[in-house]
Amino acid sequence: MTDNSEHPDEGRAWLSPSLAPLAFAAGLILVLIGLVTDYIVFGVGIAIAVVAGFIWVYNSSRDVREAPEPEVADEATVEPAPAARAPAQSAQRYSRGALLTGATIGLGGVIGVAVTVPILGFAVAPVFIDQGEDDVDLGPIGNFPEGQYVIANFDYKRVNNEVEAPSVARRTAYIRNNGFVDELPSFTILSNRCVHLGCPVQPAGPTGDASDVDGLSVTLVPVQPANFSCPCHGGAYDTEGNRTAGPPVRALDRYQFKIVNGNLVLAGRFSVSEVDGQGSEAKIKAYKLYPPGTHVDGPDQWMTPLVS
Amino acid sequence: MSTKEQRDDFTRYKRDVKKEGKRFFPYAVFHDTVMSLFVVAVIIGLAALWFFTSGEEAGDAGILGPRYQSEADPAAIQFVPRPDWYFFFLFYLLRIFKWPESVILGTIGIPTIALILLMVVPFIDRRRERRLLRRPVAMVASVLVIASLGILTYKGATAKEGAAGAEDAIPEWIVDGNLVENAEVVLSTDPDAAALDADPGDAETLIEEGAELLVQAGCLNCHVYRNVGAQNLGAPDLTEEGSRERGLEWQIGHLKDPPAFSGGSLMPSFATLTDDQLLSLAVFLESSRGN
Amino acid sequence: MARSKSARQQQLEELALAPVEWLDERSGVVQGSKWFLFRKVPRDVSWAQTLGSATLTAFIVQLVTGVVLAMYYKPDPAAAYDSILAITNDLTWGWLARGMHRWGASVFIILLFFHMGRVFIYGAYKYPRELNWLVGVIILLLSLAEGFTGYLLPWDQTAYWATVVGININATAPIAGPFIADFLKGGAEIGGETLARFYSLHMLLIPGGLIALITLHMYLVTRLGVASPPWSKEAAGRERVEVETRKRGLVEPRRRKSVSRKDQT
Repeated sequence: MTDNSEHPDEGRAWLSPSLAPLAFAAGLILVLIGLVTDYIVFGVGIAIAVVAGFIWVYNSSRDVREAPEPEVADEATVEPAPAARAPAQSAQRYSRGALLTGATIGLGGVIGVAVTVPILGFAVAPVFIDQGEDDVDLGPIGNFPEGQYVIANFDYKRVNNEVEAPSVARRTAYIRNNGFVDELPSFTILSNRCVHLGCPVQPAGPTGDASDVDGLSVTLVPVQPANFSCPCHGGAYDTEGNRTAGPPVRALDRYQFKIVNGNLVLAGRFSVSEVDGQGSEAKIKAYKLYPPGTHVDGPDQWMTPLVS
Repeated sequence: MSTKEQRDDFTRYKRDVKKEGKRFFPYAVFHDTVMSLFVVAVIIGLAALWFFTSGEEAGDAGILGPRYQSEADPAAIQFVPRPDWYFFFLFYLLRIFKWPESVILGTIGIPTIALILLMVVPFIDRRRERRLLRRPVAMVASVLVIASLGILTYKGATAKEGAAGAEDAIPEWIVDGNLVENAEVVLSTDPDAAALDADPGDAETLIEEGAELLVQAGCLNCHVYRNVGAQNLGAPDLTEEGSRERGLEWQIGHLKDPPAFSGGSLMPSFATLTDDQLLSLAVFLESSRGN
Repeated sequence: MARSKSARQQQLEELALAPVEWLDERSGVVQGSKWFLFRKVPRDVSWAQTLGSATLTAFIVQLVTGVVLAMYYKPDPAAAYDSILAITNDLTWGWLARGMHRWGASVFIILLFFHMGRVFIYGAYKYPRELNWLVGVIILLLSLAEGFTGYLLPWDQTAYWATVVGININATAPIAGPFIADFLKGGAEIGGETLARFYSLHMLLIPGGLIALITLHMYLVTRLGVASPPWSKEAAGRERVEVETRKRGLVEPRRRKSVSRKDQT
């Protein structure tokens, strides 16, 4: 198939050689469109396709129909080889090769960074972003009798108060109302995740009947624990959350709380190294939330210097 | 040893293989195919056995375990997790390192050291010798590794699960252990029964209450009773506690202050329980004499 | 069958093999396959050396069943468990696909350890196969990670809590531990992001790495050859000593026989 050539002999072609196949294609497109829209377009398409096809075949068969002409080598137009491109590279500061190599590596580096940093950042960002914890409304303070522990089951992140259980956001905490200290209510609110490796910690004591709090997806169960123990590897905590036996590395984590309109509302969690004293007189050595298994104080704290 | 000898060895190896070796296809491929067929048959067999001996209910286990447990509940209190069996050796390692400072040895320390040793094996052992009987270090190392992996996996597999489902087993306990009859005997013969206001007629109520308390008060987090519960912190098996004949007063005193009655005990004090609860627990324990 | 083929037979053969020829000329694939399939291995190689390919078979079973399971599994915490129930109980042969995948994982790991032990005992990690051993160790690590990430996917109690403990074990590592744990969790809590991350790791990253490394592993085995059992009398590479057998007459030259010395390697 001849393409655009400059030979003056080509005047015998009926159309410029590349136009015929294009016209044929256009004709086919019109045929297809016409099948969908109306028959006029269809007919026009067929006509164009037939005509253009005939011209195309006529053009390309010209070599067969005509006598072969000897090829004239008119290569006189070849450019003189740039022989005089002498190795003047020594005279230049950067050879072309070195420039191209540098540019390739440099641009390649830019591309690599442009692709990797945002993507990796997407994967790794959650590690460094401080993810806030929503407040959780647990209902009226009256549901928490003084001096007694209550197992509270609630949704930690809620959407429109309508979350089905068991859902990913459900949590359990052990809550004890300690009465008032200087007219401010005092609560001991322990997280039920063991600080050794995160297994659920169980209250060692008889439980009462469960009750649901109206309007909130919160379940409360009274319990009289002698202590809290973890069946996974034998961790044990006393009723203040201090570790008494086993591999846990610190006391149980706790929840911050506030009182809003007479309701107990849980805020974020924090880690505790130990607790002196009991109930409303307890002195809690608090730290920001650490993952389980991480020491918050003592000589072993050096192992996690970046979490502070 | 010099690298020239290694290279000569390898050259000789290649020459031998070229001269005397057999073609991979079909000789070795035949063995491979038979073995692969066996492997696929085993996999299908296991899958069929697992499926057809288990039920649709969550936790309904057959010979090879249940099809699934109940749906994930992050707020659960009563679940004791287990990894897949090939992690049992790591899982049991965690149970061995019980002191808070040593936890990192079991989680990261030992596995990392083992991994590094595994990786540097070809760089530590550069001898040409390949016969096992002439590589004493390799022989000892492989025996040690196989034995310890095997033992740790076995211990991890048989480590007691925890108290899930124990409540349902209480009626069986009462029947299999003749607990009510034993309780009547205990209540009539124990010297302190009268002082504690305990009557043989209450035997059944006391036993039922005691059993429920055993489950609810978390005793099974450290003790084992009739193959249910966890073994932690050196707590003894309570299935035949009554055979030790310690008496009701000892049991109640021990529950209130364990280290005083059992030196070095890590058990916490259950003095917060009421006297009635303590009595029922004591009667239950004293009546437990196995089968 | 006649040894020499008639011209017609030759023509037919050429016609039949034409597509293969076409492919080979452009890619060298036939040459490569011949190099892999028809290479020579020592004559004393037998059943012990089938563990590697058995492991590969188990891996391929995992790949195939995994792809099929992925067509029905939904990696969202609200739907994951139900999709597993549907696969196991309702869909045709779903129980077989899930069962094979689950038990195939165990078989794969067992065979991995057996294969590793066999290589160690045979001393087949020594020169020149050290690199292959390293590649194998990395394959072992990735396979364990694959098992760990896959364990979470059914999203039942066992899956969830075992993953909690597993991630927290990583958190105890010095310095980087809490960050590794956060990366795995996809945030501060184990939840929907964790499931999606583990799914991505389990389906894409780790299998990709495994396929690449297993290919490298097999290439190295093909290139470096299979080691003979060290105690074999016919071990390839054993040292030989020229020993005179019996004296021949004046006319015949003395025949020398090669035997293996007592301390062969």
